[in-house]
Amino acid sequence: MSLVDDLVAALGADRVKAHPLELRVYDKDAGVARGPVAAVALPESTAEVVACVKAARTWGVPIVARGAGTGLAGGAVPTEPALIVALTRMNTIHEVDLENRTAWVGPGVINLDLSAHTTPMGFHYAPDPSSQSVCTIGGNVGTNAGGPHCLAEGTTVAHILAVEMVTVDGEIVELGGPAPDPIGLDLRAVVVGSEGTMGLVTRVLVKLTPNAPDVRTLLLAYPTIEGAAETVSQTIAAGIIPAALEIMDRPMVQAVENFVHAGYPTESAAVLLAEVTGHPAAVTAEAGQIERIALQAGTTEVRSAVDAAERDLLWLGRKSAFGAVAQSAPDYYLHDTVVPRTRLVETMTRLYEIADRFEISMLNVFHAGDGNLHPLVAFDGRDEGARERVMEAAEEMVRVSLEVGGSLSGEHGIGLEKRDLMADVFSPIDLDAQARLRDAFDPDGALNPGKILPHGSRCYDFGMQPPLSQEPAL
Amino acid sequence: MGWITGAAPTQAQLDACVTCGLCLPHCPTYRATGDEAASPRGRLTAMAAIADGIAEVDETFAEMMSFCLQCRACETACPSLVPFGRAMEGARAEIAAQLPGRRRSARRWLVGSAIANPTLVGAASFGAAVAQRIGVGRSGAGTIGKVRGLRRLPLRSSSTRGKSWPARGVPRGTVALLSGCVQDPWFAEVHEATISVLRAGGFDVVAPPTQACCGALAAHDGAVAQTRALAAANVAAFDGFEYVVTDAAGCGAHLKEYGHWAEGGDVLAARVVDVTELVAQLLDDGQLPEFGSRGQRVAVQDPCHLRHAQRITVAPRRVVAAAGFDVVDLDPSGRCCGAAGMYTITYPEMSESLGRAKADEIDRSGAAVVASANPGCEMQLRSYADEAVRIVHPIELYAAALQGRD
Amino acid sequence: MTDRHLDQLIDRDRVDPSPGMRESATVVAPATIESAGATLAAASAAGATVRFWGGGTHQGYGHVTKADVVMSTERLTKVVDWQADDLTIVVEAGLPVAELEVLLEDRNQSAVLPELPGSATVGGVVAAGVSGYRRLRYGPTRDRILESVLVTGDGRVTTAGGRVVKNVTGYDIPRLVTGSLGSLGLIAQVCLKLWPMPKRAATIVVEDAAAATRVAYRPLAVLELPDRSAVFVAGSEDEIAAQTRDLGGTEQEGLAWPELPSGEWTGTMRVPPASTLEAVGRVRAAGLTFVAAHGVGEIHLAAGSSSAASFGELRSWAEAQGGSFVVTGRPADDGLFDPWGSPPPSLTLQRRVKAAFDPAGIANPGILPGGI
Repeated sequence: MSLVDDLVAALGADRVKAHPLELRVYDKDAGVARGPVAAVALPESTAEVVACVKAARTWGVPIVARGAGTGLAGGAVPTEPALIVALTRMNTIHEVDLENRTAWVGPGVINLDLSAHTTPMGFHYAPDPSSQSVCTIGGNVGTNAGGPHCLAEGTTVAHILAVEMVTVDGEIVELGGPAPDPIGLDLRAVVVGSEGTMGLVTRVLVKLTPNAPDVRTLLLAYPTIEGAAETVSQTIAAGIIPAALEIMDRPMVQAVENFVHAGYPTESAAVLLAEVTGHPAAVTAEAGQIERIALQAGTTEVRSAVDAAERDLLWLGRKSAFGAVAQSAPDYYLHDTVVPRTRLVETMTRLYEIADRFEISMLNVFHAGDGNLHPLVAFDGRDEGARERVMEAAEEMVRVSLEVGGSLSGEHGIGLEKRDLMADVFSPIDLDAQARLRDAFDPDGALNPGKILPHGSRCYDFGMQPPLSQEPAL
Repeated sequence: MGWITGAAPTQAQLDACVTCGLCLPHCPTYRATGDEAASPRGRLTAMAAIADGIAEVDETFAEMMSFCLQCRACETACPSLVPFGRAMEGARAEIAAQLPGRRRSARRWLVGSAIANPTLVGAASFGAAVAQRIGVGRSGAGTIGKVRGLRRLPLRSSSTRGKSWPARGVPRGTVALLSGCVQDPWFAEVHEATISVLRAGGFDVVAPPTQACCGALAAHDGAVAQTRALAAANVAAFDGFEYVVTDAAGCGAHLKEYGHWAEGGDVLAARVVDVTELVAQLLDDGQLPEFGSRGQRVAVQDPCHLRHAQRITVAPRRVVAAAGFDVVDLDPSGRCCGAAGMYTITYPEMSESLGRAKADEIDRSGAAVVASANPGCEMQLRSYADEAVRIVHPIELYAAALQGRD
Repeated sequence: MTDRHLDQLIDRDRVDPSPGMRESATVVAPATIESAGATLAAASAAGATVRFWGGGTHQGYGHVTKADVVMSTERLTKVVDWQADDLTIVVEAGLPVAELEVLLEDRNQSAVLPELPGSATVGGVVAAGVSGYRRLRYGPTRDRILESVLVTGDGRVTTAGGRVVKNVTGYDIPRLVTGSLGSLGLIAQVCLKLWPMPKRAATIVVEDAAAATRVAYRPLAVLELPDRSAVFVAGSEDEIAAQTRDLGGTEQEGLAWPELPSGEWTGTMRVPPASTLEAVGRVRAAGLTFVAAHGVGEIHLAAGSSSAASFGELRSWAEAQGGSFVVTGRPADDGLFDPWGSPPPSLTLQRRVKAAFDPAGIANPGILPGGI
């Protein structure tokens, strides 16, 4: 007997993968890292997920949950030979409750499929990561995914009311509920964004958002990226929270335009996409206000999408940005830091300085309204020393973001990629607290081990006493 | 062992993928299975593993590649502009070379030789025509069941090859018609419609006698030598024409990639047009009349090799609308119908599930007529759609309008 | 560490009990977060239980617990960092909500905490996990806690989250501490996400709150009281006029927020939003006073001793809808009535999480559902 035998007994041979080539296609996500895969299972029900967990536990193999594999931080990439539980087949929209504006869905439901399903009913699922046409709700829960429209609507956690989860012991537990503020500790909020380290989510109760009665999408072009960033800072400072505020710089706009042909101004140094939604009586005025701020910040072109088709095309461009990078180089590496919006202009300037100094090609596309940066470095990994140079520059970029009071990740998650930078953000005591919280769910470290927290986060990993507050003796 | 032929996927093709995954939901086999190994990204990863010497071309690899419909929906979704169709043809060429014994029997012979041989196609057509008349196939399954997808065939078919038709009025140029492998016996009405519309638009139409089957199916199956031979024959046969017109999207898509297959192929490729493209142009130029709406809905089905491979979506709609119909789209309009060349035979279950899904879309559209610009799709749609639904080529609708028929 | 060490720390920070403190316990008010940490570490070592106290407004929440020491946040009232242009503010837990909102009003901003907070502190509101009426528009308080400084039950000063509006760096401890009622330790400081406040706001009096909820576009709140219903809106002049027209109600300038109902017994029923209408019917039938938030599913209510008998039935009904009925205030001598009702199904995990932060079990032990 073996792990694979047990899985085949539970799921059937069709939905268990063990050939080296089949494992190979599951050993990475949309980021750069690869990891070792012991087997892949594609369950179709909560009961089958329980069977997967029990089989893996029996054979002492760690478990890594996976959605569509669009993560950029290596969250679904194993650090040791693991069972990959791909939840893509659990893609049923179980129940839509329009009265309560909620839906119970399987973790494998594709984000955009859910919105496509409910839009004709007058509702949509608000968080819209750029990969929304691909990524799954389960994956979104895992990373607490964001997206352009999270500026006004909040990220995934604000849209998840409850989850059904299989624990590391193979038990099924429901966290949260359909009514506001379920009693007891809010474990739902902890599971959202936990990257599969606390359990495997098998059903999700999501909140649906009413479609906006009116939408205005503005494309603003600038001779400098600082002008675009300035518009964002000034808009927020003026007390306007638009539905979305997205910036792309020239190299990014050119790559994107080459794919979508949406008429993006490829000669401008930067483009700002601003979207205002709301009551028809308010949208025009708010769009006008943003336009005035933009003109003061030096915009050279103001274009308003005339219809839904043009708006969709503009957004398709924005949301294809990462993929379009391959037009210039086969590899890319990006970060996901967030900086205070008051420090956007200054941060951008410093990022370009770093790129110049390292002589690397940097493209920028980011959720400016949230201060969520995605400096993206295109390179060819086969060039001598290229990867090292890129990593060095990227690390400096992260430090700049942290220096101005920012955070490591706004929406992609910590995963593998940023794990070791956690110690730059949090003290050993902070990390110890996080490690304890994780241990409460998974004491043996069987769920996606090696993610989020750097090794040694539990202080007593080294036989140390947990640090207590130090005060001078009385 | 890695790759062993010159036709293998190139490093540049494989490098173009940054594994962002935006192709996944557009892939019919990924949609159906949720399996990364059945996705374009997974297939490219597998090819890269061969190229990097991490894995071998074995039965698992071959199965992973064969399961692909080659609909190329991933290409239109790909912001990195990965030429997936080319890479897949390369992978299949390698499989054919490295695993020569794999499914050696009927299928490859059918693809590589039979379909390119007018005599054999003619014999098969006669058999099918007889079968239609004695009632076989209406309820049958498998290959025999495919007879349901055929139009009613004449017992005796004639070929367009070697014939020519003069323009009506003053000729504005000469176009060549690709006769194709099964178009003559099975889709004679489509050729007739194409010829009559082009003549009305002011073109002399010629079907060069020495032309061959386009070779698309051979290329899709990795039959490299066969593909090259057919391409070379056609480059010679179509030399010197202003346009080479096809009324089969799969053929057009392949002709447009002749640059990869034959000396001078790029010159021919640049002159290939789908008939709907050319007619839409003639409509724009006012060379052909437009007819007012008669209030009847026609659903336009986008053949993958028109929509994804040739990126043509407007022209067929333009032609149908000019014929006086209200165009409706199928939803989702970019999903493969499951015909995909020989896929109906190699993966009947997947093909059938896609065919049934497409039939449901047609049902939801409420249209009694569906216009499809590709013979393979047409047969698949006819196999699964309600029998009351008429499946035609867009050009037939326009030709009928032009002749004052319904 | 010894009890003597704890005694020394208590002596250093000792203050007089505030009015309303239930037991005549020892009360300390640390002047710094580090001092609070030292005291909790000592309390953990000594096995002394601790209750936390802000403005005293939510002390009726949860099971009645005994505390050896009451830790007050009255000396932790600093505004640490206000980034007005970034719409974030960092404050210590003891800052009264009312003071915070007055400060923010200068820049037309709000932390969107409860509108009529009384003496409630920021820390108290976060610990109790309560939200204002405007949660319909801006979401619950929990969604605005960007960063938390939690002094764990065993005295470790732990920071989680960050001072930016979007963040997935590490586990979401800021949301976890929201509503934890001091069971994990002292919530000592938080960073709050702020919202700009539209210049104009109005209260539109309507006949039918449930119908108005369907018509109104993103109102701040739709509230129903025993004798009136109103939609609260904010935005531009045009938008308010249009909403008033759509709703067919009468517009009054400004936001006339109702006080929460008061009585011998108070509680909050929470049900899926669409069940609000039925909940109101049941609450009316029971003769209770209430403020019902349509679109949210939150019904605050109050009763005298005679009508409190209906609580049990209301709770059964609310729980059957997937909701809860929490008793938040009861006569001092009635400690028997379970304030929470049926505990959540995740009790095992809840217990383990509590222990992760408060291994000695001294931080408000037993206050949560299931006696955690």
